[in-house]
Amino acid sequence: MSSAGNHSIHRLLDEAFGGVSMTPEVQDLKEEIRGNLAARVDELADGGMEGHAAAAQAMDELGDIRELVGEVAGPGPQAGASAPAAALDFRSLHRVRPKPAYVVGVVIASIVIAAGLLFMVLGATGVLPLPIGPVIGLAGLASTGAAWIVGDTLAHETTTNYPVSKDRAGGYFFATLLGVYGLAIGGLVALGALPVWVVVFAALGVVAAIVLFAFLGATQTNRKKAWVREAAREYQGQDRFSQDPVAAARFGIYSAVIWIVAFGLFAGLGFMVGFGISWLALLAGLAVHMVVLARMLFPSGGPGAGAGTAGKVPHS
Amino acid sequence: MVKNPDISPQHTEPFAADLLRGHTDTIVLGVLRDAESYGFEIYKTIRDATGGAYEIKEATLYATYRRLVKDGLVEASWGDETQGGRRKYYRITDAGRAVYQQNVQHWTATANIINKLLNVKGGTP
Repeated sequence: MSSAGNHSIHRLLDEAFGGVSMTPEVQDLKEEIRGNLAARVDELADGGMEGHAAAAQAMDELGDIRELVGEVAGPGPQAGASAPAAALDFRSLHRVRPKPAYVVGVVIASIVIAAGLLFMVLGATGVLPLPIGPVIGLAGLASTGAAWIVGDTLAHETTTNYPVSKDRAGGYFFATLLGVYGLAIGGLVALGALPVWVVVFAALGVVAAIVLFAFLGATQTNRKKAWVREAAREYQGQDRFSQDPVAAARFGIYSAVIWIVAFGLFAGLGFMVGFGISWLALLAGLAVHMVVLARMLFPSGGPGAGAGTAGKVPHS
Repeated sequence: MVKNPDISPQHTEPFAADLLRGHTDTIVLGVLRDAESYGFEIYKTIRDATGGAYEIKEATLYATYRRLVKDGLVEASWGDETQGGRRKYYRITDAGRAVYQQNVQHWTATANIINKLLNVKGGTP
């Protein structure tokens, strides 16, 4: 699409959605309309129409979307639903289906990994009379399969994440390849199929992979989609301590009491009975602490309990 | 788009737009029967199928998609376009196929009855 037409669509759409509160559902509709407008502008451009005019005509043909937008924005997406339930609803709303080619690629890569590993181990343990060269090759094949799955998966859009760029996905591919190949060579050394000094190469590969992963991880920007971030924010807002300062204070006092008692018991048991079993006091303290935390965060019969069990979300 | 100059849809359309509008859901299901599609493609298919004589407003279609998805007759998912406008694709479900077939049967039966009733005294439809 021409950049002029593209720009005009953005402006006209922003006008059409002006003053509407941007719930994820409205954002979703806007995104869908944007994609369809772009397709129509492309069609008009093929017919020889210029950018701005094409955008204006596409927008004109769209008809009046105010009513629709008002309907979508109106009552709010899920009034009264818990944040996890809302997140699940949004997830279905924003579902991205994997491309068939991607699915086929991952299946083939999985078969390659399984076959490569199987024959590598059979060759290394002497069950199959394979020379060491092909065994190393098989390790490389399995590693490539694993790296392919990582790289190809990252390069695709998912329901919750945007795709990473091809270059970056290539970086993850290479890092995975180095790491897995290094580990596989290390495994061959451990199985006795390769001399011990080869472990230096294995270690080099793994270290290089760690460095590369660290670099990629440190320079990675946010890939989370807007609706995912929103759901996460809402979920954080739902924890009881941030909403109920009294509960938080009570929990603080309970915690202090639990640990003072636990340490007292630890010291007392240690001096009187022996330090062999006194650590059980700390274990008991931790258990009680966790139970109290659970009771405080999810009170039985409280509003949180209702929202959690009445919703359609299983606790998992 | 180029409209057929013989037909001015707003005023002298030789069909009842309201009657057609009542079948928008079924029409969309019919388009999706063969292959999954995205909004503008569905719109274009309907537009081209009637030779431009009748076109459903896109704004109406968005409401239809939402209704069909809510009723489980159609599944929506975002395409994986890496550049250009992103597209939301719709795919008919088995329930959608069943409803489509049922609606078509109902329409055929109703059309037959109405044709007969309008022809009671041998008039031409």
